[in-house]
Amino acid sequence: MDDTQLAAQVAQGDERAFLTLYDRYASHVYALTMRILRDPNLAEEATQDTFLKLWSRARLYLSERGSLPVWLLTIARRTALDRLRLEARRPTLSTGEDPEELWQTIPDENTTPEESRWHSMQFAVQSLSAEHRMVLELAYYQGLSQTEIAETLNWPLGTVKTRLRAAMEQLRREWGEK
Amino acid sequence: MTQNQIDIFRESIPAYVLGAMDVEDARELESHLQTCASCRTELADYRAVSESLLMVSPAKTPPAALRRRLQGHLPSAQKKALPRFAWSFNQLALGIALVVLLALNISSFLQIRSLQKQQTELTKQLQSGQTVLAMLAYPNTESLPITADNISGTLLVDKSRNTAIILVWNLPQLDSTQTYQAWLIDPEGNRTDAGIFRPQADQPYTSASIYSMDDLTNFTGIGVTVEPAAGSDQPTGERVFKVDF
Ligand SMILES: [Zn+2]
Repeated sequence: MDDTQLAAQVAQGDERAFLTLYDRYASHVYALTMRILRDPNLAEEATQDTFLKLWSRARLYLSERGSLPVWLLTIARRTALDRLRLEARRPTLSTGEDPEELWQTIPDENTTPEESRWHSMQFAVQSLSAEHRMVLELAYYQGLSQTEIAETLNWPLGTVKTRLRAAMEQLRREWGEK
Repeated sequence: MTQNQIDIFRESIPAYVLGAMDVEDARELESHLQTCASCRTELADYRAVSESLLMVSPAKTPPAALRRRLQGHLPSAQKKALPRFAWSFNQLALGIALVVLLALNISSFLQIRSLQKQQTELTKQLQSGQTVLAMLAYPNTESLPITADNISGTLLVDKSRNTAIILVWNLPQLDSTQTYQAWLIDPEGNRTDAGIFRPQADQPYTSASIYSMDDLTNFTGIGVTVEPAAGSDQPTGERVFKVDF
């Protein structure tokens, strides 16, 4: 059964459909919330909140506006960033994923075309320069504005803007090629 | 508009899709987007990139206990705890709403007096609430009066952020079998559940914030009715007030 059908059943209160979607996407939601919150307990709570929102708001999901994982992960990102602000934690100056981990998720024969596109984006992000990856990380996964990034890194605002744009232009080229 | 300004808009689109633009710049870009098709195409392209970034972290299996815990939460979550719109009744949202209200200079003596009582607590909340403040303190926030028998208040609506805050004075307490429920009303008059809320016992005002997953521009107003404690799918009880956007 596809995501849209499952979401429609979740909207009717079908727990089995909900658990199917959980099994399909929990590891992506948890990975994203871990990346943002960098704490297993907080990430687990944010994952829980995200799926409770799926349960209670499934009726609002509109497949013509985008895929279910994008919808769910958009909720997850917002939930985790809200939590991050609540914890008032200073951003960690990491540049993202441990490259070792990427090799554990090599696509296999069960990988859907959409999934393999995401895998290739993992490598695209990994191939950004350290500075480009850092601004991207602070903007998207730590929820900082360009001005806040400039303050955090002690870079001129213009430099932040240029690097963020360059990082995204590079990713867009990679994404466009697929 | 000069070519230079247009280029600046186009160049800011990557930061915009990452949510990293400063608030006022983002407003300006949004109004430019309404008139510029080529920037809208650019936006769609970059939006696809930012969406793919949601998926780039290698999958990590959460602890098995989470799945069991979620199962336990489901029956109650459907109706009560998390209605279709996420309501936060936390003091934070309340504090921010009051500050915005004050800033908008909607002042009756009574309102100001009760605000002052909350001042200390409010300051505390504000320190952690800059984000919500930033969200609501835009010039885009519309402030609409709420009036009904013995009830007065304000509805703050920011359609660009799909956010609204209800703030009412003298909302009667309900017994435990009943709740207030808000509804978003579309142009055809259909009601969409926007969550349940109860008056705060120790305070003269009640506040509730709505974050809508759906575009608020699809709706023309908000109504509030009295419903059975778990909330209803459609309004069944007496209307308390209605505000048109
Ligand atoms: Zn343009």
